[in-house]
Amino acid sequence: MSAGPYNYSYIFKYIIIGDMGVGKSCLLHQFTEKKFMADCPHTIGVEFGTRIIEVAGQKIKLQIWDTAGQERFRAVTRSYYRGAAGALMVYDITRRSTYNHLSSWLTDARNLTNPNTVIFLIGNKADLDAQRDVTYEEAKQFAEENGLMFVEASAKTGENVEEAFLETAKKIYQNIQDGSLDLNAAESGVQHKPTQPGRTNLNNDSQQNRDNCSC
Amino acid sequence: MELTPHVQEKLHSGHKLTAVVEAGLVQDFVKTTRVVALIELGAHETKQGGEQALLIFQTVRVPVHSAIDLSIERVLPIDSALRCEIDTSSTDVHTDVLVNITSGKIRLLFEMPFSQRTNTFVSEVLRAAEVISKRRGPPPEFAWLSPYQASASSSNQGNTNSLSGQGTPVNGQETAYPPATATLVDLGDDVPNAANSPYLDPSSDITDNNILQGETERSPELGVNRHGIATGISPTPIAARESHIRHQMALREDSYTDIHDFVFFIGTWNVNGRSPIVGLADWLAVDEDPPDVYCVGFQELDLNTETFLFNNTPKEHEWLNAVLNGIHPKARYQKVRLVRLVGMMLIVLVQEKHLAYIRNVAVDTVGTGIMNKLGNKGGVSVRLDLHSTSICIVNAHMAAHMDELERRNEDHDCILQRTCFHTNINSPPKTIKDHDHIYFFGDMNYRINHCDLNVRELASSGQFKQLLEFDQLQQQKNIKRIFHKFHEGAITFKPTFKYDVDSDEWDSSEKNREPAWCDRILWYGDSIKQKVYRSHPSLKISDHKPVSAVFVAGIKVIDTRRYRRNYEEVMKKLDRLENEFLPQVTVITTEIILEPVKFLQSQTKSLTIANTGQVPVQYEFIKKLNDSSYCKPWLRITPYSHFLMPGEKCDINLEVLVDKRTAAHLNSGHDKLYDILVLHLDGGKDIFITITGDYERSCFGSSINALVHMNKPFREVPIARLIDLESSQPKELSDLPYAIPKELWYLVDHLHSHALQVEGLFTISGRIKEFIDIRNCLDEGVPNDLLPGSVHSVAEALLFFLEALPDSVIPVALYKEAIDATPNFSLCKEVIAKLPVYHRNVFTYLMAFLKELLKQSEGG
Repeated sequence: MSAGPYNYSYIFKYIIIGDMGVGKSCLLHQFTEKKFMADCPHTIGVEFGTRIIEVAGQKIKLQIWDTAGQERFRAVTRSYYRGAAGALMVYDITRRSTYNHLSSWLTDARNLTNPNTVIFLIGNKADLDAQRDVTYEEAKQFAEENGLMFVEASAKTGENVEEAFLETAKKIYQNIQDGSLDLNAAESGVQHKPTQPGRTNLNNDSQQNRDNCSC
Repeated sequence: MELTPHVQEKLHSGHKLTAVVEAGLVQDFVKTTRVVALIELGAHETKQGGEQALLIFQTVRVPVHSAIDLSIERVLPIDSALRCEIDTSSTDVHTDVLVNITSGKIRLLFEMPFSQRTNTFVSEVLRAAEVISKRRGPPPEFAWLSPYQASASSSNQGNTNSLSGQGTPVNGQETAYPPATATLVDLGDDVPNAANSPYLDPSSDITDNNILQGETERSPELGVNRHGIATGISPTPIAARESHIRHQMALREDSYTDIHDFVFFIGTWNVNGRSPIVGLADWLAVDEDPPDVYCVGFQELDLNTETFLFNNTPKEHEWLNAVLNGIHPKARYQKVRLVRLVGMMLIVLVQEKHLAYIRNVAVDTVGTGIMNKLGNKGGVSVRLDLHSTSICIVNAHMAAHMDELERRNEDHDCILQRTCFHTNINSPPKTIKDHDHIYFFGDMNYRINHCDLNVRELASSGQFKQLLEFDQLQQQKNIKRIFHKFHEGAITFKPTFKYDVDSDEWDSSEKNREPAWCDRILWYGDSIKQKVYRSHPSLKISDHKPVSAVFVAGIKVIDTRRYRRNYEEVMKKLDRLENEFLPQVTVITTEIILEPVKFLQSQTKSLTIANTGQVPVQYEFIKKLNDSSYCKPWLRITPYSHFLMPGEKCDINLEVLVDKRTAAHLNSGHDKLYDILVLHLDGGKDIFITITGDYERSCFGSSINALVHMNKPFREVPIARLIDLESSQPKELSDLPYAIPKELWYLVDHLHSHALQVEGLFTISGRIKEFIDIRNCLDEGVPNDLLPGSVHSVAEALLFFLEALPDSVIPVALYKEAIDATPNFSLCKEVIAKLPVYHRNVFTYLMAFLKELLKQSEGG
C-alpha cells in the first residue's frame, strides 16, 4: 500500500566501522536513544539499531550495523559490509593511531561495498578538544582527497551525530533520485520494501548448513 | 450519446434500469472509464420488491456506441453492506464528483461529472441503499443477478470471484484496454487504509511515492508481531506505529495547541417562501467587528410543491446572494459549503484568512417530514475542522403546531441520530455528537404551552420571564428530554413568530397563531461564550423574525513548532521502544578457552545463553563469508539454532573432537584450534564467540614421510620441526631415517607377536580408554617396547593410524591407477614401483604382515 503517514518508504542499511574504542557504539546509541553511554563495553559482534528519519518528506528506516572494532574480528566483520548503503567510518580525534588506520578501513569499505555506498568520515570525541591528536584540517583534507563526507562529532554531547546520520541518508536519497543508485541491484543497501536483515548477509550462499536443523 | 438504450440492451427481461452514469474508475494513479448502472428487479418478480444492484461495465470506446461496446466487469448487489458516499473533501465545485462505492471488501472510487445525471444516479443509489436498510425479513438473495455475475467472471478471465473482490487486477478482454493495476483495495479488518484516494486526512503528510506503486497490490499487513519490529519483515508495526503515534499525539494535544478566540455569527430565519427583497445587513452586519465565521440557516426557503418534489429552487441562489451582499463589509469571506434540503438551507462562510485551516468539510441532510423521510422538515448540517477543533453546524426545521410537541422531540432525536458525516475513507463516519463544538439552530417550532396568561400582551410588553416558563423548548430541555448538555442564552427578545407579513403585528389571520419563540440557537461545547442573542424585527418580509447570536469560541490552534517537537518526541520514544524490542541475549562468555585437546579425545564446553530482552529470540550460528560451515570441522555445536522466550536460558554444548579428518591439518599447522563463531539473533544483533585452545600433536595424523625422520619419541620433537617435516619441502631431514615409521612398527609388531592367533582381530572393536594409553605410549616412547591394552585396541589403533595419515599409503594421486591395475600382476608391480619410497616400504611391510596374518588364520 502506499506509504501511510508514519510508515516508511525505504530501508537504508548502514555500517559503522573503525578501530576499537573510537566510539562507534556510542554514536549509534546517541543516534537511536539520544543518550550517551558512559561505560560502553567493547562490542563483541555486531550490534543492531534502527531509527526512522525523514528525508525530503520521505520516511526512511535506518538499519544500522555497528561492528566490533577489534582487529581479531576484522575478518568476520568484513562479512557485514555487503549491501550497506552507507558506511560511517569513525576515528578518535584524540588517538592518532585510529586516524592512521583509516586508509585500511577505507580500503575495506571500498572493496566490500558497492561503488555508490556513501562513506561518511566521523572524527569522534570532538568534546575532548584539549586532548586532540588529529587536526580538523588534516582529516578534512583526507576526506576531500578520498571523496568522503566529513564531520567532527561527539557521541558524548551529541554534537553533529544527528547530522552525520542524516547527511548520509540525504546523500543516499539523492543518489536514488538522480538514478545513480540502482535500487534493483542486490547490493544497493536500499530497500523500499521491508525485508529481513542479517539472515544471509554473511554469505553469498543463502542456503546455510542446516541439515540437522530441528526447528 | 445516450447511454440508456445500450445499457438497457444488456439487461435481462424483467430487470429495469433505474439510472446510469459514465464515470472514471480511479485506480491508484490511473483513471479508466466505466459505465455504472443501477438496475432493479421488476416489482412483479419479487414479493417484497426493491432488490437492486449496480452493474459496472467496461467499455471499449467512449462514448459508447452500442451495447456491444459494453462488458460487465462487476456486479454489486445493493445490500446492507453497500455504501455509496460522495467524497466531499474537494472544495472546488468545478471538479468532478468523487463517489466512493464500497461493498464489503470491495472499494471503488469513481469520478463522475458534475451533472444532473450524476446527481440522479447517486440519489437513486442512496435511496436504494436506504430501502434495503429499512427492509424487514431475511436479506435478499439476489439470485436474479447470477447471469450478470457469470458474464462478469467470464470477462474477467477466470476471476470468478468477482463478488468477493480479491484485489486482483481486472483485465478486460480487449487488448486496447489499459490493464487496471489494482481495482480494489482490500479493506483490512482494522488497518486504516490510505490507499486510493488522493483526498486524505490533510493532517497526515502523505508521501505520494510512485516508487511504491509496484507494491500496491499487496494487502496491508495485519497483526503486529513485536518480534519482527527490527527485522523489517512483514509484521513490522506499521499499523501499530501509526495508531500509537496518533494516540500519543492526542494525549499531548494540550502541549502543542493554543486556544484562539474565533467569533461565530449564527443566524436563523424562516423566510416563509419569500424572496430576499430587502437587504440582510440589518441581520448579518449589525455588529462592530466582523465575525470569523458565518453560519446562516434558512427555513421555508421555497414553499413550492415542485421544490418539495425535485429539490430544485431558484431561491437558493437568490438567498445566497442576499447573504453574500448582507454580510459584514469589513472582512472578506469565502463560502465553505452550502447545503440545502428542500426549504432548509445552511450557508457557512469564513473569513478568507481562515480558509486554509478549514478541513474535512462534510455535509449531511436528514428529512423528517412526510413519512419521516421527506425534506419539508428535518435538518441540514455541515461539519468541519477549524484548526484542531471539530465543529458541527445544524440548521433544523421541526414539526409545526402547538400540539405536535412530541413530533418536534422526535425530529430532534432523528436529526441527532441520523445525521452522519463521511469525511474521508480513513476515519469512521461522524455523528453530530462527535464534535467539539455544535451549533444547533433553526425553526424549532416549539411553542408557548397553553396557559392562562395573555401571551400577546406579555410578549408585546417585554415581560418574557413568565412566558418563558411555558416555553416548550425550555421545558423539554429542563426535563432533559431534548438538547441534553446543550446551552441556550437568555432570551431577551420578543417571540419571533408569528407576525403579519411586512409588519410587526402579531398574526391577525384566521389561524390567529399565538406568538412563540420558534427560532432558536443552541450550542454545545466548552470554551464557547455567547455574546449576544437577539432577533431582528426590522426584517419584516416573513411571518418570522430572523434571530442571530454571536459567539466567541475557543478554537484549538496547533503551534507547528511545538507540534513538531512533540511529534519528534513521540517518534523518538517509539524508535527507542523499537530498539528495546530488539532481541537481546546475554551469553555467559564470549571467550571459550579449551583445555589442551588430544587426538580422538573429545572435550565439551558449555555456553549459557539467556534471553534478557523483551521479545522471543531465535538464535542461530551462522556462516562467515566464504566459509562453508558455521564452525570448524573439529567443533560441533548443539543446538546450533534454538528459540528462547524472554527470561529463558539455554545451554549450548560445544564439543571439540580432533579425529582422523582434522588431525593432519592441525599437525601441519594448516589449522589451529581457533574459531570465531557468529551467534546471530534473528532480527537483531550478532555476537562473536571466540573459541581457542592448544592441540597436543600426535603421531596420529602425521605423515609417513615426517615420521620416518623422527628418531626420538614424537612428543620430544619440537613443534617447529614437526611443522617443517610436514611441509612439502622440509629443511631438516634426519641422516638416518627409519625405513618405516617406528610407531607403525610398534603397532604391527605387537600384533604380530601377540595376535596372530586371535580370532576376530580387526573386527572386534577396541576400547577408547586403551587407545588413549596406546596413543600416549606411541607419542611419548614405548617403555620396554610393550604396548598397553588389548590386541583389539592395538588393532584399532593401527587402523586409526592409517586412516589419519594425511596421505594414505597408496597416495590419493595413484588411487585410480592402482584400482585399474588390480587384475594385472605386472601393472600392480609398476604402480608399487611408483610409490614414494617410504610409502612403498610401509606398503610392503603391511602386506607382509597381512600375508602372515592370513596364513595363520587359515592354519587356525
